[in-house]
Amino acid sequence: MSSVAGGLAYFIPAAQLAIESTGKVLQVTPSPSTLPSPSSSAAATVAPINGAFTVLLLGSDDDSKFIGDHVLTQSMILIRVVPSTKQVTMLSIPRDLFVHLSTGGSAKIDGAYSYGGANAAVATVEQDFGVHIDDYIWIGLLGLVKLIDAIGGIDVVTSNPVFDDYYPADIYSNWPYDFERVAVLAGPQHLDGLHAMQYVRSRHGDLQSDIGRSQRQQQVLIAIRQKAKQLSPADLPALSAALGGELKTSMGLSKVAQLLPLASSFDNPDAINQVILANPYTHGCGCPETYLTANWGLILPLVHEYFP
Amino acid sequence: MIARFVLGVALAAVMVVVGTFSYIYLGSRQSKVAVPPEKPTVSTPRAQAVVLPGTLYVTQSGALYDLSAGRFHQLTAEAGWTQPTVTPDGNSLLVVRQNALFSDVYVLNRFGHVVRQVTDNAAPPRNLDIGYNHWSFYPRLSADGQTLWMTYDGLKCHPECYDVSLAVWSMPFNGNIRQAHAWTDGGYYTGGDVQPIPLAGGVLYTKYSYGPDGKLVGQLWFTSRAGSYGRPLTDPSVDCRSPSLSPDGTQFAMVCTYEKQVSYLTIASWTGETLGPLKNIITNQLVAQPTWAPDGSGIAYFAPGAPAGPFQLWWLPKAAYAPPPPSPSPSPTPGGPHNGPLPSPSPAAAAPPVRPVQLTTNNGFDATSTMVWLG
Repeated sequence: MSSVAGGLAYFIPAAQLAIESTGKVLQVTPSPSTLPSPSSSAAATVAPINGAFTVLLLGSDDDSKFIGDHVLTQSMILIRVVPSTKQVTMLSIPRDLFVHLSTGGSAKIDGAYSYGGANAAVATVEQDFGVHIDDYIWIGLLGLVKLIDAIGGIDVVTSNPVFDDYYPADIYSNWPYDFERVAVLAGPQHLDGLHAMQYVRSRHGDLQSDIGRSQRQQQVLIAIRQKAKQLSPADLPALSAALGGELKTSMGLSKVAQLLPLASSFDNPDAINQVILANPYTHGCGCPETYLTANWGLILPLVHEYFP
Repeated sequence: MIARFVLGVALAAVMVVVGTFSYIYLGSRQSKVAVPPEKPTVSTPRAQAVVLPGTLYVTQSGALYDLSAGRFHQLTAEAGWTQPTVTPDGNSLLVVRQNALFSDVYVLNRFGHVVRQVTDNAAPPRNLDIGYNHWSFYPRLSADGQTLWMTYDGLKCHPECYDVSLAVWSMPFNGNIRQAHAWTDGGYYTGGDVQPIPLAGGVLYTKYSYGPDGKLVGQLWFTSRAGSYGRPLTDPSVDCRSPSLSPDGTQFAMVCTYEKQVSYLTIASWTGETLGPLKNIITNQLVAQPTWAPDGSGIAYFAPGAPAGPFQLWWLPKAAYAPPPPSPSPSPTPGGPHNGPLPSPSPAAAAPPVRPVQLTTNNGFDATSTMVWLG
């Protein structure tokens, strides 16, 4: 009993985050069988996830320019994981894609979240792309920085020098409309959270703008997954403490714990499909509003191939 | 009654001890992924005790260090120092100092003291637009010590557009930036041309551009005069960068990624005009900044010590990529004094493969910074 109590005390920060992030009471509390026992030298064992599942990853600018939860989702990535074949597919949805929103009307898809939160964003993607989404994860700017710092940084081969004279200085600045200069050099390197954020967020110096940025975001996601292989369930409280308030998800703590060993079993980088909806899947509208128009005749067969 | 009380207290004490022990035990089960790197000067167990010849200059967290006789020495404060290189006479270092808005090239003596500032890339104080600041990176001096080569963002279209492409520039080493001129055009919204290496008859550099498959890739290029188009030396699909010329000038080391999140250590012969076939000599590490030993005895490079970890210093002996020719096996001399049956020649035992040696274990070197090695 006291052993379980000690274990529960240890996982309190993670439980708090789970409750705050999901808005619901933690469904599964760590039981003695799922915790590393002081008398056992084996690592924690959790039931594996066997069935394929799809997660919508949402990333937002959530600085003080925005009011409450009415933020845009600059990053929207559909991720499908098939544990049986160890296949992962990542599909980046351009934030400027002009779609029908689940809350009514049409707008850029990055506005879906601001009109109805994560559920509206999920419903919009499900409705327009014809996919079923099992869970979502939303993370704010500072959350990504803190997450990467909490796991000790990531190794990335940055594909090109990313230079930007007008990168938004809205994370640590008192004036969220301020700018800063960014210089992320090219090549293999170890990135901390701030520089990883600069690498995935900057778009001014990229000819492909948001599309190029999407490719960099996928590189960083793969690097985070690579680092997650080395985490254990005992790291969850520290991660939770770092992420407080910057992460929302429909997943419970138990599912997160299940994903950690799953991440370590995916060891073939060639089994990760990276899909970007660039031309001819999307094209500019030629209008001042900078919408992207979807070529659904091409997008839907592609989506159904990877997200059956 | 007293016995029950004592038993209760004992049980409570046991529960507190076991609960605390469980909490501490779980804490001990945390991974060590977030442990920050240590300074190179901190005495730490080395993975293998190999003393490199000469003096190697590296940077970590904005500080310049040298490694000589097996020990690191911190030469500067952690103040944005990166990308050291050496003057042709070997007496001074050129080092970039970078802050949040701009970076400049400085001359330092070999003990890390500033001799002079070469470039002045800060925007005039009266100008509040941060776009008027500039970056200088990857400095190199020509063989005669008269010309400074560097990557510089002087061609950007500010304030008309957002392009901050880098190009290869040269300027008189004792001159100023107004005397500089661009040798390349820096591309268009791609990051541009970096890592110049002045050679007889031109300059070799890494060009970042969109390849035929629409992916951003690095290529080694060579151009013989300012403003000429130049010519590629490597294929876009191989995606190479970070060239390093061998001390005898006959080979280049580089890293190539094949458009993936990998980084192979690759070498190729160099005729002065063309590169020979590429040969991948390390394919299972994330290799950065390969640098030849001045005596040609091997290649130092950065790579993570643990998967996805900070970059450590590694050493690859020459025998790993240029094994010595097999020594001829002794053969019996016909008609010699030997009378009995001739011994059957036995094949020479295969030499064990030469592997890279990890020289540091818990540092975090700047993998985007060149290292420089003096004999």
